[in-house]
Amino acid sequence: MAAADFYFAINATFRFILQNYGEEALHRYWRALGAEYYAPLADRFRTGGLDEVARYWTAFFAAEPGGDVSVAREKDEVILTVRECPAIRWLRLHNREICPGYCQHCRHVSTAIAENAGMRFTLTGGGGTCEQTFSLRDGESPA
Amino acid sequence: MIGVQDFCGHYDWTFAYLRHTYGEAALQRYWAEAIAFDSQRHAYELIRDKGFDGMEAYWGHTLTQEEAGYAITRTEDVFRIDMHDCPSKGFLIENGLAAYDDYCAHCMGWIGPVAQRAGFTIDHEHNHRGQCWWQLYRPDEAADLNAARAKAGDKNVELRPDWRRGDRHVYRQCRQMPPEHEDSPDAAT
Repeated sequence: MAAADFYFAINATFRFILQNYGEEALHRYWRALGAEYYAPLADRFRTGGLDEVARYWTAFFAAEPGGDVSVAREKDEVILTVRECPAIRWLRLHNREICPGYCQHCRHVSTAIAENAGMRFTLTGGGGTCEQTFSLRDGESPA
Repeated sequence: MIGVQDFCGHYDWTFAYLRHTYGEAALQRYWAEAIAFDSQRHAYELIRDKGFDGMEAYWGHTLTQEEAGYAITRTEDVFRIDMHDCPSKGFLIENGLAAYDDYCAHCMGWIGPVAQRAGFTIDHEHNHRGQCWWQLYRPDEAADLNAARAKAGDKNVELRPDWRRGDRHVYRQCRQMPPEHEDSPDAAT
């Protein structure tokens, strides 16, 4: 199991960029992270399709410490139902001030990953509870 | 979602991103401010309030949680860590990741400011192979640095046959020494 205290560093990193360089800079950081660091993951999604998306996120949330998330492979999409986000849970548990817009990193990072994989990403909700969807772009057939 | 399971990977990538985007000074400030006193404020509070006991509480918990291969040695005036198998650098090596060219520097980047604000200083070396040692002590006291090294015995990472195979970076009192210092006689005695 990964060390949950690393959520403190992720939170502090977002705040450092936000406070020193502004909101747009934080969005650019997230987009770049999704496009560059996670490029190998986008390749996996592009090659393996929605089955790989479901496999990845199922294993991902099994490895993160805590949280309550289910992953559903539907016909044309994969839906992540986050009932309790492991990061938000840990930060709240330890009385850490959560960086404003923390939840938006999922939107920006996963959108960049999805775009590179030829997919679409949507997110609704926030504050520790949300629904995230990876779907195929119109006209693309499932792998 | 950015997770903690591959934290060291995106942490390393972030170092390179910050330096490339905002410059080396910004990266140093990120470690010295955001990591030292935001992320790791619990470490600072423990060390500030409890000294060596706080160090043992912090690193004993953190390094055990990260499943590190390490040893802690204490004398009356020195707190020493010998890291034989750094899980953080090990993750990068295992996964072939090296976005930033001196990942190991981040530890001194945040631990140095924490220790100094709490009234300590640090001697340290790392070899970029997942091995390093640390000695923390109060700069205004005549700490017997060799006693801690001797007490570490066979846990002393400098005695490993492969210690010198890496590219060693040396710090004395939180300041990085020029390369020629790295082969000085006292570096591994």
